[in-house]
Amino acid sequence: MLPAQQDVLNIVQAKFLAAEVVKTIHLNVSVVDGPLENDNRILTLVEYNKSFALFVLVSSRIQPISFSDLSIESVIPLDQNFSFETEPVSGQNYVILIIRYKQNKYEFKIEIGKESCNFAAEIIHAKEVSLTGASNFTWLEKYFGTMNQANRNSETSISDQSDFVLIREGMAQGQASINRESMLKYQMKLREPEFTQKQEFTIFVGTWNVNGQPPSASLKSWLSVDEKPPDLYAIGFQEIDLSKEAFIFNDTPREAEWQKCVMDGIHPNAKYRLVALARLVGMQLAVMVNNQHYQYVKNVSFDTVGTGLLGKMGNKGGVAVRLELHNTSLCFVNCHLAAHVEEYERRNQDYKDINARVNFRKNPQAIKDHEQIYWLGDLNYRITDLTNTQVKTLLQRNEINTLLRADQLSQQRERGNVLLDYSEGDITFQPTYKFDLHSDIYDTSEKARPPAWTDRILWRGKGIHQISYRSHMDLKISDHKPVSALFKSEISVIDQTKFRKVHEDLLKKMDKHENEFLPQVMIDQTEVVFDLVKFREPQARYIIIANTGVVPAEFEFIKKLDEASYCKDWLGILPFCGSINPGEKCDVKLEVNLETDLESIYDILVLHLKGGKDMFITVTGNCQKSCFTQSLSSLVRIRVPIMQSNPQQYNLARNNQSPILYSVPRELWLLVDHLYRHGLKTRDLFESSALHEELIRIRDWMDFGSQDPLPGTPQAVAETFVLFLSYIKEPIIPFELQDVCVAAASNFQNCRQLLIQKLNDIHRTAFIYICMFLQELLKHSNDNGYDAKTLASLFGDILLRDSIRNAKPQASRGKANFMYNFLVNDLSALLIPK
Amino acid sequence: MSTGPYNYSYIFKYIIIGDMGVGKSCLLHQFTEKKFMADCPHTIGVEFGTRIIEVSGQKIKLQIWDTAGQERFRAVTRSYYRGAAGALMVYDITRRSTYNHLSSWLTDTRNLTNPSTVIFLIGNKCDLEGQRDVTYEEASKFAEENGLLFVEASAKTGDNVEEAFLETAKKIYQSIQDGRLDLNAAESGVQHKPSQPGRNNLSNDQQANKDNCAC
Repeated sequence: MLPAQQDVLNIVQAKFLAAEVVKTIHLNVSVVDGPLENDNRILTLVEYNKSFALFVLVSSRIQPISFSDLSIESVIPLDQNFSFETEPVSGQNYVILIIRYKQNKYEFKIEIGKESCNFAAEIIHAKEVSLTGASNFTWLEKYFGTMNQANRNSETSISDQSDFVLIREGMAQGQASINRESMLKYQMKLREPEFTQKQEFTIFVGTWNVNGQPPSASLKSWLSVDEKPPDLYAIGFQEIDLSKEAFIFNDTPREAEWQKCVMDGIHPNAKYRLVALARLVGMQLAVMVNNQHYQYVKNVSFDTVGTGLLGKMGNKGGVAVRLELHNTSLCFVNCHLAAHVEEYERRNQDYKDINARVNFRKNPQAIKDHEQIYWLGDLNYRITDLTNTQVKTLLQRNEINTLLRADQLSQQRERGNVLLDYSEGDITFQPTYKFDLHSDIYDTSEKARPPAWTDRILWRGKGIHQISYRSHMDLKISDHKPVSALFKSEISVIDQTKFRKVHEDLLKKMDKHENEFLPQVMIDQTEVVFDLVKFREPQARYIIIANTGVVPAEFEFIKKLDEASYCKDWLGILPFCGSINPGEKCDVKLEVNLETDLESIYDILVLHLKGGKDMFITVTGNCQKSCFTQSLSSLVRIRVPIMQSNPQQYNLARNNQSPILYSVPRELWLLVDHLYRHGLKTRDLFESSALHEELIRIRDWMDFGSQDPLPGTPQAVAETFVLFLSYIKEPIIPFELQDVCVAAASNFQNCRQLLIQKLNDIHRTAFIYICMFLQELLKHSNDNGYDAKTLASLFGDILLRDSIRNAKPQASRGKANFMYNFLVNDLSALLIPK
Repeated sequence: MSTGPYNYSYIFKYIIIGDMGVGKSCLLHQFTEKKFMADCPHTIGVEFGTRIIEVSGQKIKLQIWDTAGQERFRAVTRSYYRGAAGALMVYDITRRSTYNHLSSWLTDTRNLTNPSTVIFLIGNKCDLEGQRDVTYEEASKFAEENGLLFVEASAKTGDNVEEAFLETAKKIYQSIQDGRLDLNAAESGVQHKPSQPGRNNLSNDQQANKDNCAC
């Protein structure tokens, strides 16, 4: 491998992951029938884990100096759908490499030599390896998104039905980075003077309508008349081929012939390289640069616009080439506008159409967006209001200025109808049209066209100074004379050191901005401490989230690793997500509602800002003991109200280590006793909802004990009774027995057996105690309105409550059936005396 | 262009860990803003910072998560280790206790990150030479024994701060180049293509669990 090739290979490798090995590359590949701008393709064979793919890379520089100069145009997996062949072209030193992938066909021109032989051998080998193993091509997926919008030529060769359709890169990259990219570009542009300096380049622009004639003379008298060689040439021809074939197939041997003639005719004191050659039918535009500047030319593209027949054929129109030389964007437009004296409005329209329709695709600027524009061609504007004789007389008297007043182009420009904002140098040469062939004599034919300055060169942009503007009378093979203009143009040249510095500086600023643009909020407290948390007595705290940043903040409480929810059961957060605009705030309510037996509450909430930081909010509080969340077995061991019990007694009772003091908990007895005495005849005893305060008073009366009678209405006590049974640590019929109970529900004897055999004494006694009370209630059906079925269904759900609170009740009917047995049968036999 | 000259080609995720008050947030601030933040409040949560750096000509975006150091948050901050390509483990050279806790931080890091995660030990506050409580030599030895990169730095003066962040990135980049770090594997902590700062390990499907969203 040549050293230069090795350098490029290293750059290409940087485009890929380390595990994706660039096996070989082929430089200087061009797309067949493609424009010359495309010869900077690099075919790259890449291997990842024994699967191979061919990447077509486009380099924005002729010689890439960094991986960022490369973009991926196509990705072709070497699987069973891949095939390739080479086709020699007789008499040429290149072959056509034809690659087929499914219905796609890619054709590349590669030079014959060691490089191409090696490359072909590597592909053959790679394909064999790819096919032997079970190759996995998923690693390619990430690249389909990075392929750049291919230029026109490959768009036609890569069909859309392919599995590997080009994806718009904008979508794959994410909007943020694109914004960043364009922002940085814009900022760099603003600070351009800091890292560039103006350097004068000489630019030679030439135009010639060759009237369909073949090149038969040297162009030196046109292209190399100046002492010093220019830095850049832009040479435009019109009518290089007037044949039908050229018009219909847009194909002509004249292109190469004229181009060779140009290359032979340009200044001999410097070497030039062709940057772009664009042609539409007879209009051709070539841009060449002095070799020493070649490496500073990048982002070359061209487009052609036909405005001829039907408003779109290529007999008239324009071809444009754009490029960046150092840090200045240049655009050259060669046009051939509508003919005939009276058609000046058509010409104006052609000009507008060219401007509107030129599309440089991967460099999406319009003509007008370029810093320097050179407009050349056979603009075809004539001399008006003067007869052929008048014109010739004026010319003989050398009154060019009088004649110029009748120049349509000058008139139309003055009226702002065409080439507005463009400048043109003073015309000191005589009209370049229309001559008898091989002479300097104006048209003597029957048509006798009056002479006109049809061939013109104009410019637009800063720092352009025209040095000369002239015609070249020595070239007589056409009915037009060639015209040229020499410019000294200021090109901004990047000082790499300064560029780096500004670039780094901007990157830093943007990093800073990016950090500033992260969502920022403040919260007024990160420690939320609740007052003594009591059973079913909700308590709220508010935290204020204030957006102190510059962008809207989307917040959300998120769950921690290995946790089921973003907060514990006893807490509610409202709202738990939302969006706050800068300068605004949001009150978030944290509400604790204790329904289980906890000594204290503790949780760390994670408040997450989308795309930003996370904040931790610690929630703490102590809880007050309550009889409501205890187990029956502890309660029967506590002699006094729970808040009166000392910690030692309480702990012993909780661990079932102290003796059983009651057959049913005193709290249960107090409630039932109260209802027995005051509630048996109360209508809808269990259905009316009591005031929350009333329930709290009853709870405290039970937990703290009091000399006062039990407070509250019978309904309130009844509700407390239901709550007590609902929240008791384990339901009266424990979870694990519920299924068998429901299964046995159809037979009272079986239910009875279950109760005796499976239920422990404490639970069984409580169960029977409750059932006997309910039977007592039923004796007063007439007053309280309850029947056995209603009570069975009500208490079935409570005494056999589900393990998951608030969930959809399971098999309520079975539970009710089970209960029903104990509401309609005699239970006395079940009571086992202690 | 897919990788324009102004863009970055990798995202590396870093976490900064260590005891409370060792100067984690100040290190981050010094690195992203080039300023010392006096009176920095305790971080109660996880701060987030970003900066683009260059390693071997490659632009790399660092996404840095600066965690709360308080012991009581330890269980929560463990959620953030996952998918870190670099871990900066910080102690305070003037407080021996912060050094003594390193082995516990290291255990967490090893357990919660992947084997290719680069761990960089930073002895912060090296500007306070007079109050030094941990010698350079012993910390250096500790680092060596545990295969950690090590530097003493000062978030106040900026000494070695840049170096620590950059060295970590270089090491990660090396791992990528050597193929030790498989970018195609999940949780490598490195993204090859730029994208939004994503953090999904904590925020996945919490909606599913509580549906009382009132927003």
